[in-house]
Amino acid sequence: MLPTIFYIGLSALLFVIGVCGVLLRRSTLMVFMSIELMLNSANLALVTFANQRQSLDAQIMVFFVITIAAAEVAVGLALLVMIFMRKQTTNIDTMTTLKG
Amino acid sequence: MTQISWLIALIPAFPLAGFLLNVFLVRGERANGTVASLSIVAAFITTVIAVINLAGMAAESRYIAITLWDWLAVGRVTVSFGLWFDPLTAVMALLITGVGALIHIYSITYMHGDSRPGRYFAYMNLFVFAMLILVMSDNLFLLFLGWEGVGLCSFLLIGHWFDRKHVAPGIVPSEAAAKAFVANRVGDAGLLLAMMAIVSHFGTLSFFGSDGISGFVSKLTDASFTTISLGAFGSVGLVSGIAFLMILGVVGKSAQLPLFVWLPDAMAGPTPVSALIHAATMVTAGVYLIVRTHAVFDLAPDASGWVVIIGATTALIGATAAVTQFDIKRVLAYSTISQLGFMIAAAGMGAYTAAIFHLLTHGLFKALLFLGSGAIIHGMHDIQDMRRMGGLRKHMPVIFLVYIVGALALSGIFPLAGFWSKDEIITHAWYSAQNINVTVILLLSSLLTAFYMGRQVALTFAGDVRDKDAHPHEDLGTMKWPLYILAVASVLGGLMNLPGVHWLNDWLNPVLHQEAELFTLSMGIFAAVTVLLATASGYLGYRMYSGAVGARIKPGDEDPAHYYLGDIWKGFEMGWGLDYVYQRIFVKPYRTLSTFLHDVFDQQAIDGILVEGSAGMVGRFSQAVARIQNGNVRTYALVFLIGVVVLVGYVVIGA
Repeated sequence: MLPTIFYIGLSALLFVIGVCGVLLRRSTLMVFMSIELMLNSANLALVTFANQRQSLDAQIMVFFVITIAAAEVAVGLALLVMIFMRKQTTNIDTMTTLKG
Repeated sequence: MTQISWLIALIPAFPLAGFLLNVFLVRGERANGTVASLSIVAAFITTVIAVINLAGMAAESRYIAITLWDWLAVGRVTVSFGLWFDPLTAVMALLITGVGALIHIYSITYMHGDSRPGRYFAYMNLFVFAMLILVMSDNLFLLFLGWEGVGLCSFLLIGHWFDRKHVAPGIVPSEAAAKAFVANRVGDAGLLLAMMAIVSHFGTLSFFGSDGISGFVSKLTDASFTTISLGAFGSVGLVSGIAFLMILGVVGKSAQLPLFVWLPDAMAGPTPVSALIHAATMVTAGVYLIVRTHAVFDLAPDASGWVVIIGATTALIGATAAVTQFDIKRVLAYSTISQLGFMIAAAGMGAYTAAIFHLLTHGLFKALLFLGSGAIIHGMHDIQDMRRMGGLRKHMPVIFLVYIVGALALSGIFPLAGFWSKDEIITHAWYSAQNINVTVILLLSSLLTAFYMGRQVALTFAGDVRDKDAHPHEDLGTMKWPLYILAVASVLGGLMNLPGVHWLNDWLNPVLHQEAELFTLSMGIFAAVTVLLATASGYLGYRMYSGAVGARIKPGDEDPAHYYLGDIWKGFEMGWGLDYVYQRIFVKPYRTLSTFLHDVFDQQAIDGILVEGSAGMVGRFSQAVARIQNGNVRTYALVFLIGVVVLVGYVVIGA
């Protein structure tokens, strides 16, 4: 068993990669995947802490996150399909209709 | 007794119900007209029943009074919503509802195809309601409600065609409506001040009082030596002051000398409206007010003198102006002014019965003439200029017949209605008042009356149609019976008060306390001479304008008489230039001031700085803020992230 700090470091790394993906990628699909990455980095952190404290509370939280992430993907992909049908592209920068 | 009291409350209730129905429920031209007419007919029938009941009462207590509710109670003054039905009110109500009903029925055909029939009939009903309130009120305050009500309705109805740029002869309906309203308002201010004076000195506005409290009429005698101080302007007797203020109201409403300018322009409304304003309602209100409050004028001889002067002068001005007009309705409008002058002069001389008599007969034949001219205008497809008419006798035989009756009655030809009433006024001026100047002026006016009616009949009916493009036709519909009934009434109207019989005089005696004048042979000769002169004058007018002078009239040209009389004729045509004077003294400076205020204060200060300035500031601020909302998801995400970092950083470091 590695020390906790490694797992947390990995989690932080994954999270930063996710954030960068959300902020920098133009493809909406990639943005989605980056969001999934961030969620899973949070899951990893939760599992790690649960393991360290020998408590199941945080692990239960992980199941919730996974479930909600699945629902979110379902909705998000449906939206993505509709956007593609409308605009023939998934470039997130073209979706600026809320511009003030 | 109680049933009869409620009966008189029904008289104004019917037109009010008709008004409300037409405003809120009834839709469709035919239905509007039917509801409006039925409500007035119902009011007329109710009035007749009330009059029959009234006639059965003892002469000394011949009135029906009902207090519906206490309207206002301010301090020691209580104003009740009370109706009062005495012989004077009875004849007024009969005229208003009777002639009013005929005018409503007539309107059904006349207004056919109008774009706003519901509005028209609703306002007509409201007009009759207001006039009934005016004559049936038992106090000055409620009278004032009716007084203002007819003013409002005249405004609404004169401006009925407010969307038309102008109607013949070049009057803008919306401006004519405003003019009528403003001219009336000047007079109303006088009546309002008179009411204030009465309240402050007598503590009541009720004419005859009720519930044991006496009205102001009975208190007048005690106050006949009271004076009001006017500061540097000396002082004036209280009763005289009240009378003078009332005169101001009368000249406004009854279109007398300084304020008559609104009446000729009131022609901008539909013709039945003119008939209603001129014959049955509105302009008779002033005469009614003088007669109703005759106790005030009896105690103020100086004010009564002014009433006579105003009336006689107006009679002459109206008659001279009527001679020169070419618009068929304008002739009649100036004629109304002139005839109202007769009534006012009679009222000023104390001949109240004669004034009411002339008011009633005039209501009949002037309604006939207006409805007849309306039928002509209808048949000529909105042509009102008499220069374009002529020869209508062949095309409109029925209208010709009834119009002749009306014209003869107005001219005072024996034995039609106008003869008896007008002759009574002139005879009174000569014999009872012994005022030679007034007699001469009134006689001259009455000769001119015959002349202009002869001229009008000649221009309209004699010869051939001068405008070759016109297609006159006679299509009367529901207009037929009102014309017939009014024609018969104009012939027989004089029966009301024949010399020696004087039914009207006896009927009004409980209110006015005037004995009928004895009929003498010299009066008969006097009357015969006046009627001969009038006939000659009327024949002259007809002869001139159907013969040589008439042959020279062309559409759009001046009257041939203008060639001989020049500027005098022009002055007559302008109504002695009063309009011009008002235009110069009041309207133009007011317009200039308004334009100045509009350009400087309104456009620059209010619009420029306050309205557009504040709006512009908010707009510019919003534009600056709106730039943040660029709609780019990734920007939002970045801002969100920064926010999270700052918050978390604050919690971690700060804690």
